[in-house]
Amino acid sequence: MTKAGKTALIIGGGVAGMEAALRIGQAGFDCVLAEKEEVLGGTVLQLSSSFPRWENPLELVEERISQLKLCGRIKIMTATSAIESRVSKHGYSVTLQSRNGETTNLDIDAVVLATGFGMMDVSVYGEYGYGIYPEVVNSLEFEARIKAWSAGLGKVPEGVAFFKCVGSRDRSKGYPYCSKICCMYTAKQAGLVKDMFPYTKVYVFYMDYRAAGKCYEEFVREVIEKKHVTYVRGRPAKILPEGGKLLVRAEDTLIGIPIEVSVDIVVLASAAVPRRETGPLAEMFGAKADKYGFLERQRFSLAKASDRVFFAGGCGFPLETLAAQQEGASAAAEVIELFAHE
Amino acid sequence: MQTKRVINPGERIPRVPEAVFLFRSCTGSLEYPGTESAVKETLKFLGVEAVTDPDQTCCSGFLQACSAYKPEFCLAVTARNLAIAEKKGLDTYTFCNGCYTGLSEFSHTLLSHQDQRAAANELIGRWGYRYEGRTAVYHVQEMWYRLKERIAEGVVRPLKGLRVAAHYGCHYLSAQYGILDDAGYPTFHEELFEALGATPVFYKERQLCCGYSVGRGFTHKEAIVQPHLHKKIKSAAVAGVQLMTTVCPGCNVALDREQPNLNRLYGEEFHIPVIDLAQLIALALGVPASKLGFAANTTSLDHVLKKLNCDKGS
Amino acid sequence: MHRERDKDRDDNLRRKVDVYHLAENLEDCLQCGKCVGACPVASLSPSYNSRQIVSDVLNGQQERWLKSEEIWRCFLCSGCYAACPVDINFPNLMMQLRYMAVEHKYGLKYVIPFKRFALAALQDGLTFVPAGPKGRDRIRKIRTDIGLSPWPEVSEKAREEYRALFDLSGAGAFMETINEEDDKPVELQYTEGRVTFADKTGH
Repeated sequence: MTKAGKTALIIGGGVAGMEAALRIGQAGFDCVLAEKEEVLGGTVLQLSSSFPRWENPLELVEERISQLKLCGRIKIMTATSAIESRVSKHGYSVTLQSRNGETTNLDIDAVVLATGFGMMDVSVYGEYGYGIYPEVVNSLEFEARIKAWSAGLGKVPEGVAFFKCVGSRDRSKGYPYCSKICCMYTAKQAGLVKDMFPYTKVYVFYMDYRAAGKCYEEFVREVIEKKHVTYVRGRPAKILPEGGKLLVRAEDTLIGIPIEVSVDIVVLASAAVPRRETGPLAEMFGAKADKYGFLERQRFSLAKASDRVFFAGGCGFPLETLAAQQEGASAAAEVIELFAHE
Repeated sequence: MQTKRVINPGERIPRVPEAVFLFRSCTGSLEYPGTESAVKETLKFLGVEAVTDPDQTCCSGFLQACSAYKPEFCLAVTARNLAIAEKKGLDTYTFCNGCYTGLSEFSHTLLSHQDQRAAANELIGRWGYRYEGRTAVYHVQEMWYRLKERIAEGVVRPLKGLRVAAHYGCHYLSAQYGILDDAGYPTFHEELFEALGATPVFYKERQLCCGYSVGRGFTHKEAIVQPHLHKKIKSAAVAGVQLMTTVCPGCNVALDREQPNLNRLYGEEFHIPVIDLAQLIALALGVPASKLGFAANTTSLDHVLKKLNCDKGS
Repeated sequence: MHRERDKDRDDNLRRKVDVYHLAENLEDCLQCGKCVGACPVASLSPSYNSRQIVSDVLNGQQERWLKSEEIWRCFLCSGCYAACPVDINFPNLMMQLRYMAVEHKYGLKYVIPFKRFALAALQDGLTFVPAGPKGRDRIRKIRTDIGLSPWPEVSEKAREEYRALFDLSGAGAFMETINEEDDKPVELQYTEGRVTFADKTGH
């Protein structure tokens, strides 16, 4: 069953993009999956575990890649970015460029933008010393630490402190929105540290914890009650170096007194922001973005940004892995519907 | 996210003025006249004329912060003082964080509230003053940083080996927007120290307030301010600080004059002289120590001056 | 002691205290506690808690902070304001809370020490002039030795105008309301005594 002539271009080979490509391909339409890195997988590749089931995220990525390869209609182009686009008779004429400089021109009938989210640069928080003290890292960088520890590399920390809402829920130096996933991944990261090093003191400094999902609340409670991570309600004010360690100053607001804890590593759950490729791509394809650069969906649609342009995943707003996949599938459904009716 | 927080010196002071209205701090002129002198000398070196006016009065910000004055008085006093600068067509530079914040905040209120500006202008109008907001308010530390290269080139007495600590004070960085550095981790004073050849020390309580800014040194000295100052000075001593700088005579009073009390109360042997940043710059630029009024300091600088070979009038 | 009730609270309090419209975004407060983590006073005197005071004002609770010792401890250092993720200008709020307390005659003992400086300033147009002749002579000598005028110049015209503004702007009238005999006692109202540090100096 061939659907002659229809091609979709998916820009971004993370879980959302892979899902969209897979569904469109399996529905019988041609697609090109363009990914700017050398490998598919996106942000999920960097993760050491997942919530709420503590699964290995690489298994999901590997599974999806093999399915993509099995489907004959999907052309995977890694180390490739879209650099130019013109409106054409049936859609868009897009120029792709690979890292070695080679360009390809494609006539496509629909685009799915799936460029994902990145971490805010939290060096604006001088009080936290990101970029000043080497042991202050953001949550994505910390995933690499967890992977290293799992492989037996790196010093065992005596204390780790996680700060939530660094850049999120912050009208002063950051963004007013909530980045949605940090409460869950912080609980995950804190739990993993305790699993590896039961004698390490692990603190999570929070204002709230948001666990709105299936098995989410139970996940966080497990981390607190069974893995013995210490949750302190108070947004930290400052980090000071002292005696080779990092001193965290905050208030324990549930008691109402200022406290200090001394740790080796501080992990900043930084606000999720659209990746910088998103803005230029949105412009290229006439997609609207909000004031933070996240793509906006048209009224009543699930994934439509503009004529023949769809989006899925973190480029629309931060979300967890399963939700990104679901959005990829929704975008695919709208593309398939579009193609089927033409 | 709104107006820019940290801006670079070229944005803050786009064109270096030939002359400025130097707003004199009463605490500065009365407690540490050497600060007044050092500011004038440094401005002179930088080719900026410092214009003062005997018609200028105290900014009156301190007593307002201590709840002794109501803002209406300070709004009128600010309008009057700044009108003097405006008449000369000059921007206003002060050498006290307290004056800086008072003048900034009150002038901002005057400019953004038509009714309050009208009320103030009515009061001062009887003597022919009128405030229209045509004089911008700065602190001289901004000028020092703006002309850091010029200062570095003029150093004749590099402060080699001197371990200097900054005390930024609270009331410049607290403005947060449109200023030279981030209150979270400021570094521009340390950059100036390096330009002078000194070694900056990032001591643990570097950013702690001095405790004196709103008169708690009068109302809560033993209960709060002395234990607080003990923490600050102790952390500097532990870090091997030899000299501390301030940009506010109020802070200077707290950090300098309380040290003997702290030594007595806590059995310490603190001896960290505290001077104004302008005095440090002036020393490095070759201004003789005898012109910098260190006789006013409680914690003596003699050993530092000896180390720099600039004791006794050289 | 009775349980706090809605009738003990004034929903309009946050607008009443913000007479000068300097802290209009109090409702933005997330009660995150970053201010308290930064506060130098709280680290020594945990009963003083900026977050709890904001909470009280938002909830319309006046009695606690109005009659408190705590509000007189703030250094107005703005560490809280710099830390605050929603830019609540807490020092500006504190300043107004103190005015309100003074209006109700609480905490006058913490304002009275400054009366004499205020009255001296009327003479010289300068604040913090040394009290006695010895102090003044010392200043004159230091200033002269370094080539400055013996005394910071403030013209007679300036001093007269300063005095006039003091009366015309109501500063004088305000000062007259600050008297020892009217002073009502204040005490720690929040948690001191009930929650303390092991080491009282907080080191």
